[in-house]
Amino acid sequence: MGEILTRVRFMLSGKLPGEVDDELRFHIEAATEANIAAGMTRDEARRQALVEFGGMERTREQCYEERPGRWMGTVAQDGRYALRGFRRNPVFTIAVIATLAVGIGATTAVFSVVDRILFRPLPYAHDDRLVSVGLVAPIIPQEFMLGGSYYEWRDHQQAFEAFTSETGANTCDLTERNPARLSCASVEQNFLPTLGIVPILGRNFLPEEDRPNGPRVALISYGLWSSHYGLDPGIVNRRIDIDGTQVRVVGVLPKDFEMPALEAADIVLPQALDEAAQRRADPGRVMYAFARLKPGLTIAQAEAALQPVFNYSLNLAPAPFRKEVHLRVRSIRDRQMHDVRLAAWVLLGAVAAVLLIACANVSSLMIARATQRERELAVRSALGASRMWLLRQTLTEAFLLSLAGATAGCLLAEVLLRVFLDLAPTGITLLNHAQLDGRIIVFTIFVSLACGVVFGLFPALYAPGSISTAARSNGSGRTVWLRRGLVVGQIAVSMILLSGAALLARSFRNIELQGMGIETRGVFSVRIPLPRYRYTTPQQRMEFFLQAEQAMRHLPGVLKVGTSDSLPSGGQHGEQIYNNIAVEGRPRAGEGTGGMVAWRLVSPEYFSALEIPIVRGRGFTIEERSSKDHFLILSSLLATRMFGANDPVGQRVQPIPDGPWYLVVGVAANVKNAGLTGADEPEYYRLRRDSIEDWNADADLVLKTSLNAQAAAPWIRTQIAQIDPTVPVQVETLSQQVSRLADRPRFETALLGFFACCGMLMAVIGLYGVIAFVATQRTQEIGVRMALGATRGNILRLIAGEGVRLILLGGLLGLGASLAMAQWMQSLLFNVGPRDPLSFLMVGTVFALVGLAATLIPARAAMKVEPVVALRYE
Amino acid sequence: MAETTDLLQGTLDLLILQTLVAGPMHGWGVAQRIQQVSKDVLQIGQGSLYPALHRLEYKGWIASDWGNSENNRRAKYYRLTATGKKQLEAELATWERLSAAIALVLGNSAEVQP
Repeated sequence: MGEILTRVRFMLSGKLPGEVDDELRFHIEAATEANIAAGMTRDEARRQALVEFGGMERTREQCYEERPGRWMGTVAQDGRYALRGFRRNPVFTIAVIATLAVGIGATTAVFSVVDRILFRPLPYAHDDRLVSVGLVAPIIPQEFMLGGSYYEWRDHQQAFEAFTSETGANTCDLTERNPARLSCASVEQNFLPTLGIVPILGRNFLPEEDRPNGPRVALISYGLWSSHYGLDPGIVNRRIDIDGTQVRVVGVLPKDFEMPALEAADIVLPQALDEAAQRRADPGRVMYAFARLKPGLTIAQAEAALQPVFNYSLNLAPAPFRKEVHLRVRSIRDRQMHDVRLAAWVLLGAVAAVLLIACANVSSLMIARATQRERELAVRSALGASRMWLLRQTLTEAFLLSLAGATAGCLLAEVLLRVFLDLAPTGITLLNHAQLDGRIIVFTIFVSLACGVVFGLFPALYAPGSISTAARSNGSGRTVWLRRGLVVGQIAVSMILLSGAALLARSFRNIELQGMGIETRGVFSVRIPLPRYRYTTPQQRMEFFLQAEQAMRHLPGVLKVGTSDSLPSGGQHGEQIYNNIAVEGRPRAGEGTGGMVAWRLVSPEYFSALEIPIVRGRGFTIEERSSKDHFLILSSLLATRMFGANDPVGQRVQPIPDGPWYLVVGVAANVKNAGLTGADEPEYYRLRRDSIEDWNADADLVLKTSLNAQAAAPWIRTQIAQIDPTVPVQVETLSQQVSRLADRPRFETALLGFFACCGMLMAVIGLYGVIAFVATQRTQEIGVRMALGATRGNILRLIAGEGVRLILLGGLLGLGASLAMAQWMQSLLFNVGPRDPLSFLMVGTVFALVGLAATLIPARAAMKVEPVVALRYE
Repeated sequence: MAETTDLLQGTLDLLILQTLVAGPMHGWGVAQRIQQVSKDVLQIGQGSLYPALHRLEYKGWIASDWGNSENNRRAKYYRLTATGKKQLEAELATWERLSAAIALVLGNSAEVQP
């Protein structure tokens, strides 16, 4: 203990500089006197004492080196030396820091975005043991459970220590003095404990609250608690009004709470299902099941252990569909990220490539600097600096540069992240949660230190060669080879980036160019989500929308007014199983589900408002709206599938078993109804009549107008407000909606394009740097050549040839690698093969042109050198 | 001059500490005393003496004060600290064990040789 204190004291205070000198002087004097006493003369005695002592200076230094805190002084000295060097060479310093900042900034920003998707633990206890369990069938894309099977599974499964369910989230209204439209999720009583979530205030539901007609209770999210109740702890046990009913708040959920299937949830309610009724029901309520694996069990083992209960469910399913039902057990993260994973990896790969290019550039710059300083290093080494010392000096410089780069990079990352979030479509999973945090900062510093070590070591390993030659020559050939290698690597990597971006851009263009099959110009969609607690009956709903439709017709400039329960550009619509559709006079179709069929509930003018052509038969008529009969229009795809070449008009069809029969009156052209990139689904349109049996759902109005968007929206709102001033009205142009469908590919393309351009820019700068360096290095040679009769053209070819070789080599390597890697991107591409020749040709050409330009600038400069100047150049 | 023996690594520290048991002493005194006591067999080079003194001081095993020498010159006197005393005891024990072990080995080989 005392020892440590002494060390600390000496480290802080040190000794007086003259102290050692005094001590040594005393020693010499004492020795001299001893020699005099032995009979020498004074001068001889002193001489002998000095001889015996040996090197005075050496001893003094050795005494100094014993000091514990010595290394701190050395570090500070190295640091000061490095800073002086940077000040003398500002262009180099700025270039290095800027390159690093771009590399590190982009990496950090993208890492912030993908971190949550790929790496960050979910906000549940021991999330590695949580899985999503269920059936997969064509009807619902993600795994689900049915009330008829769920309880059987929960009670008889062997692989899980807890098994729970939720029944999804619905919109609900907070009907208090400060009303709001919210999202309410319904969960089983053991849902929170299974996921390992503990309310930060209050308690979880009790078993008796999760029964039909049990006490009405709710847990509220932290967000709602903060926005509506000012974080008041008295919220527990208070009653709030949800959809006009009083509900008692029993607790507040943690800040980072999220539903495992990522539904928005401001309020969590007990699902209060009637268990006995569900067990008897077929198929029963759609539910989503989550479970916690017993320790040590793998997902595959759990899946095997679930086979008996899965077979039970399979027996419940209608016999023709059984082949299309499968069991699925997967981690919650896989369920959440199924569609963004690949995009996230591609993005991360792209920034990693940018960082790599940036590091190569910085390395190249550092090598160039080291080459210029070879003479200085040689001199210092001759003056006694050890190899270790020079290595440490170089690493100190690299470290300082990385640190500056990392700081600038963090600022840039913050800016870039804001830009990403602004550009990003709302639909991308969890992007809104992305933020720079401690982990990411640590990651950045780690990356930049790795950069520092990588590029610090290259030049350090080359210093110093033979002192005598280095002191005279201007840089060695070895480092140039290293830099050439780096440039070839950079070109190859940025080729890969650029071809990835080109493929995405082509794919995006294909998406933009394809028609939706509807006219979007001058068309508005008006969505009015009626508050459920006030518009409770189909009658009220129908009356409101019929009035709204009439009101729209009175607006000047409105040409057509149609209604539908969903729009192709909205992305969602009704769906049913193909083989459930029956045709009069035909046996019901056979095996399997036959896939899914889209359907909509529309008014007659829907087709003319969106300019969907009726290709056979006729459209719905106004008179049919008040008819007792049911009418149907098929899409071409469905008509061909059901009737082949025969005329479907006049046929009678029953879409839903035991439902009403519909008369087919016409066939409409196909419309893109599975998003922009999905394959078209067969579709049919039911006429929505002015009869309450057709008004179980809200409607969207579609207006074909000659108005511009700014003028129309306020008029439309005013008209609706005259009917009911309290309902929310969302007015959008259809082109806005369609463009939103393309948001994701647009975002991916823009991001990858941005990184590809960054990468290419840096690679080209790297290329320019090397060629310029080589040209300067060969100035004397150029002078000799010109003196011996080389023309300026010869010189241009000499220098440019160097660049062309690098571009060719790097380009070929990059092309090979990108052809090999492009197939991984297949699922991100639309109507473009991963080996699309046009994209690769384009990338190759662009690179060749830009690269040539970067080569020609220094080559031309070399060509213009005066031979006399060149010969004297040193 | 008598033949000198190379000092074992770390032995110098032990010698200095042992020498200082007699009382505070300056560097010159330490060197002279080791030489005298060892009957001129051990001659401490100044190049290693002073760094060793400084090292021991930094470790806190010895402490120093400036004082006046016998002939009234300013000299730096080193003395043993409490930590140094403990350290000396520990090192002496180690040294005795070591030298006993070496003696055993050498004794055995002496018996075998003839």
